[in-house]
Amino acid sequence: MTHPIVARAVAEGRGKLREDEALALLKAYGIPTPEYAVARDEEEAVRAAEQIGYPVAAKIISPQIVHKTDVGGVILGIADPQGVREACRRLREVVKRVPYAELEGVLIQKMVPKGVELIVGAVYDEIFGHVVAFGLGGIFTELYKDISMRIAPIDEQDAVEMIREVKAYRLLTGFRGMPPRDIPAIVDILIKFSRLVEDNPEIREADLNPVIALEEGKGAYVVDARFILQV
Amino acid sequence: MIPKLIDPQSVAVVGASTKPGSVGYVILENLVTRFKGEVYPVNPKYDEVELWGRRIKFYKSLSEVKDPVDVVVIATPAPTVPKILEEAGLKGVKSAIIISSGFAEAGNAELENWVKAVAKQYGVRVLGPNCIGIYNAYTNFDTIFLPADRAGRPPPGPLALISQSGAVAAAIMDWAARRRLGLGFLANYGNKADVTEVELMEAFAADDRVKVITVYIEGFKYPGEAKRFLDAARKIAPKKPIVAYKAGRGKAAQRAVKSHTAAMAGAYEMYHGLFQQAGVIEASSVREMFDMAKALATQPPPRGGRVLVVTDSGGMGIQAVDALEALGLEVPEVPESIARELKRELLPFAAVSNPVDVTGSATDEHYKIVLDNLLPTVFFDMALIVTLMQVPGLTKNLAKYVIDSKRYGKPIAVVNFGGSELVQKFEEELEDHGIPVYPTPDRAAKALWALYKYGEVKRRL
Repeated sequence: MTHPIVARAVAEGRGKLREDEALALLKAYGIPTPEYAVARDEEEAVRAAEQIGYPVAAKIISPQIVHKTDVGGVILGIADPQGVREACRRLREVVKRVPYAELEGVLIQKMVPKGVELIVGAVYDEIFGHVVAFGLGGIFTELYKDISMRIAPIDEQDAVEMIREVKAYRLLTGFRGMPPRDIPAIVDILIKFSRLVEDNPEIREADLNPVIALEEGKGAYVVDARFILQV
Repeated sequence: MIPKLIDPQSVAVVGASTKPGSVGYVILENLVTRFKGEVYPVNPKYDEVELWGRRIKFYKSLSEVKDPVDVVVIATPAPTVPKILEEAGLKGVKSAIIISSGFAEAGNAELENWVKAVAKQYGVRVLGPNCIGIYNAYTNFDTIFLPADRAGRPPPGPLALISQSGAVAAAIMDWAARRRLGLGFLANYGNKADVTEVELMEAFAADDRVKVITVYIEGFKYPGEAKRFLDAARKIAPKKPIVAYKAGRGKAAQRAVKSHTAAMAGAYEMYHGLFQQAGVIEASSVREMFDMAKALATQPPPRGGRVLVVTDSGGMGIQAVDALEALGLEVPEVPESIARELKRELLPFAAVSNPVDVTGSATDEHYKIVLDNLLPTVFFDMALIVTLMQVPGLTKNLAKYVIDSKRYGKPIAVVNFGGSELVQKFEEELEDHGIPVYPTPDRAAKALWALYKYGEVKRRL
């Protein structure tokens, strides 16, 4: 039942999916991600951005870099072709500064409007099997260990309970004049994600971070994903 | 399947001893003096011994016992255990309880593997090693090696306890005995070489005398166990409530450092998630587990979360509301029309909203009026009744009115606090008639919450 994307990475002895592979895997399971394309050079990047529509984000694709944001490998809110070219140059510089890192390409991704940031994750535990985790993004989740977990696979009721269980739940229902968020879309992501990890036992660890929840009826999108595989 | 392990008719005790205070002595005393079944003491050192005013015949070995034996209890030094287990297997015994320690817990995993291999080869199911085994209050099948004068034995009743810790199990047993809490069965599985908590859960699920299963667990041990627990509990929970207390919440977090998300929350969240999915009601202490179990054993699950609070103390009423609301239960107002009615019948200064405060000048009749007018209506799903018996107008007869209210088919929990004889008599009367009593409003509220939660479990699974 292993998906070909995961199978190929495992066969090649790679312990981590590339950025574009991770997004493609999510798409294969019907999990919404913003439109994206992989560019090999500046001109391809500009063409991709024109086709996707501004504003876009540019992210490095490099097998050696696990935490892109930490090294400055993510550039957000690019509004025009000039910006795309500049971003490509900056990303090349970034990769040069990281020892042994290679740049395989640049991911051009449609910017998602502002929303509430969530984290959806999974971990493989010997005793529990795959466990799915849910929390709201930001430092408070970490500070208060405000996270819910369930054993995969989960059903709709499990997903709803996972979302309601975290203390920060009120941020999703409309707090201090903020609009309520698209909770059914989050439920949908959790269920599909649980199926994804269940189908692919090679996944040791996965982080969808951030997942951006938009206003009611407008959906939720996984902006970045990281998959660690057993090789 | 664990044939007759929790409910045997005949037992052999290998390592039975005449030396007072020893493990083999206490177990033998338990079984010889109280067990309603056949006992076969095995120890080559003795022939016939006079003990506890009886002549007791000892057997040299298991093979010397000609009658069939349902369970063999082994309390001999660890290195001798595999051989004895083999003898049991050859005799055709299907279940064994190994009390002896000195196996994996003492770094002797090889010896434990040997035990496992023998058990497998002969098809003997093994509880333990390194455990206190089983207490069955119905037949007094009792392998607990703690003398009854130090560790009381509870009366038969609807609760069963499965405990990972032997010491905790024994302490609970003693505590339950002092409170006359009906803990009909207790099982401790020690090193879990063979029989698991899941199988014990299934055995208690299949026994009609057990109404609620309580589980004290510190952590699973083997790969894939969580899923087996989930599958089994999900099947049992809609028919029989399971209440669990997972201890060691903080320490467990250290193990789960595998990923960022897991490291943040730690493994306890996995247990919590598992209990939610399995329909297991989670308690946060041993006391809370039995507070809940007591209610679950006697009260029906409510249809909803609306609680009627009746009290003779304004202060206790407020505490009850605090506790109920913090748990997500509702304390809705009494409808206008009924409030008018109550106003006519109760004392002029009684409060007729919810909580209904019949005041310190109340009589038994006032409680009856409130319960009869409100509990049967569609506006309330359950009742929390505070009866501070210290006020002059109340008598033991109030218990009858509370017990009569069971006919409305809605859960009731009573808060009764104090030390006088009247308070104790009143409490006993209620508990004997299946009304759970708690000393504080927050504990009664948590018990009602457990009933509400169980209603949800039944609806969902």
